[in-house]
Amino acid sequence: MSDSPDVHAVEIRGASMVFNDGGKGRVAALDDVDLAVRAAEFVSLIGPSGCGKSTLLRLIANLLEPTAGDVRVNGKPAEQARLDQDYGMAFQKSGLFEWRTVAKNIELPLELKGWDKRRRAERAQEMLELVKLPDRGEHRPWELSGGQQQRIAIARALASHPPLLLMDEPFGALDEMTREHMQSELLQICAATNTTVVFVTHSIPEAVYLSDRVVVMSAGPGRITDTIDVDLGRNRDDDTREEDHFYQKITEVREALRGLEVSAGARGIEDR
Amino acid sequence: MSIRSVIASIGPPLLFGVVFLAVWELIVAVFDIAPFTLPAPSAIWSAFTERFGQVVDETIVTGINALIGFLSGIVLGVLASLLTVRFRWIESLLTPLAVAVNAIPIVVIVPILNNMLFGTTSQVPRQLMVTLIVFFVVFVNVSRGLRQVSATHLELMRSYAATPSEILLKVRVPNAVGYLFTAMRIAAPLAVITAFVAEYFGGVQSGLATGVRNSLNGSKDVTWAYVIGASALGLTFYLVSSGLERLHGGSKNSG
Repeated sequence: MSDSPDVHAVEIRGASMVFNDGGKGRVAALDDVDLAVRAAEFVSLIGPSGCGKSTLLRLIANLLEPTAGDVRVNGKPAEQARLDQDYGMAFQKSGLFEWRTVAKNIELPLELKGWDKRRRAERAQEMLELVKLPDRGEHRPWELSGGQQQRIAIARALASHPPLLLMDEPFGALDEMTREHMQSELLQICAATNTTVVFVTHSIPEAVYLSDRVVVMSAGPGRITDTIDVDLGRNRDDDTREEDHFYQKITEVREALRGLEVSAGARGIEDR
Repeated sequence: MSIRSVIASIGPPLLFGVVFLAVWELIVAVFDIAPFTLPAPSAIWSAFTERFGQVVDETIVTGINALIGFLSGIVLGVLASLLTVRFRWIESLLTPLAVAVNAIPIVVIVPILNNMLFGTTSQVPRQLMVTLIVFFVVFVNVSRGLRQVSATHLELMRSYAATPSEILLKVRVPNAVGYLFTAMRIAAPLAVITAFVAEYFGGVQSGLATGVRNSLNGSKDVTWAYVIGASALGLTFYLVSSGLERLHGGSKNSG
């Protein structure tokens, strides 16, 4: 399991990803990427549009197969980890199934794992309490606000208690206030469940606030250019956002990205 | 709904209908138009009440043909779209065939079925014709519903290690339900029109279109009495199917 010190939650070696190889629209999305994520670590991937951060996340999830290189999750090949449902996933779109109630949405991964009805219902309620929406189980997804829908998507991703959570700009569509609130809640949930997180974002403050490590990527082809340790401690709250050290880290990440801007022209980075 | 809003919503069309019939009646009387050309609404109404039993009988014949064809078209259309989305090779066989068959005019198919396969004593050719038309509408729409699922849903299902059958059952089928109701609303009036037209091109001496055809040489008020039956039938089909769609749509607004 991921508890043993020599097994990384995620280990990527020499991963390259080429779309339409040999074709007209050949795109080298990732080129020779190495990344290791320790158990219970929170790692953000940040970079300009087209730097391959979402592609990298999809390689970990085995939603895509790398053109070259090796991806291991929980010490297993990525495909085996996917088949074992070793990770949960959340996207920018909550991706809730509108024909299912909120509780039935959370139960879906458990249903596919063959859990019986009673155990599923119990777990769904437990997850609803974890994301602080205990009374919303029988509601339909569209009756919830955007932030609430995203919380349900996180509850669903964590329903089978996977050791790893993969998130692709999950708060990207939320307003600033809701977004900061959700960030604090995510940190609490991860601390409570001891979950490892790989988190793709466009926002520098979001990456700094959440992460133990911010991985900076560049485009054309996608590469990791810098890694910044964020030593803000584990107990972060809204006061953390006011600290000088927080601002220093934001500046550090911004400069790492700006270095790219000079060379490649970084686009789509949010300074908020 | 308050009485005021009921009056506001049905008042204008009702008033328009009454004025329309009154003007019609007036024109027939003032210009002394022969009933052979255009009968007055009052004459149509008395022909309708006089032959009420007969009109109802023919309406039932046409209605049953339309209903049988409608239901079997839905069943076959849903089955075919499920097969094509689950087994891609069936799609390459079935879709061109469905398009080709749908392009053949009813006028051509019905006499063929009447003369070659079933003879002129059977209602089956008419029902088959309706089946064919409804099948196509359902097949096209439900196939779209099964295919146009959100990319996020598919990625999620893959992350859950779901099998193709599980994806079909838990994502594609629920996604296609709305499309089925839309297909039914479109196909319902088509079913009645097709049943009507199929009767017109020969076969058993029964049904609304047969009544219309046989009355064309005589006074037109009888013809119009059958038209009343036809409109009532088409309207019933439309109202029931759009009611079903609304009932389903009412349970989710934006999705």
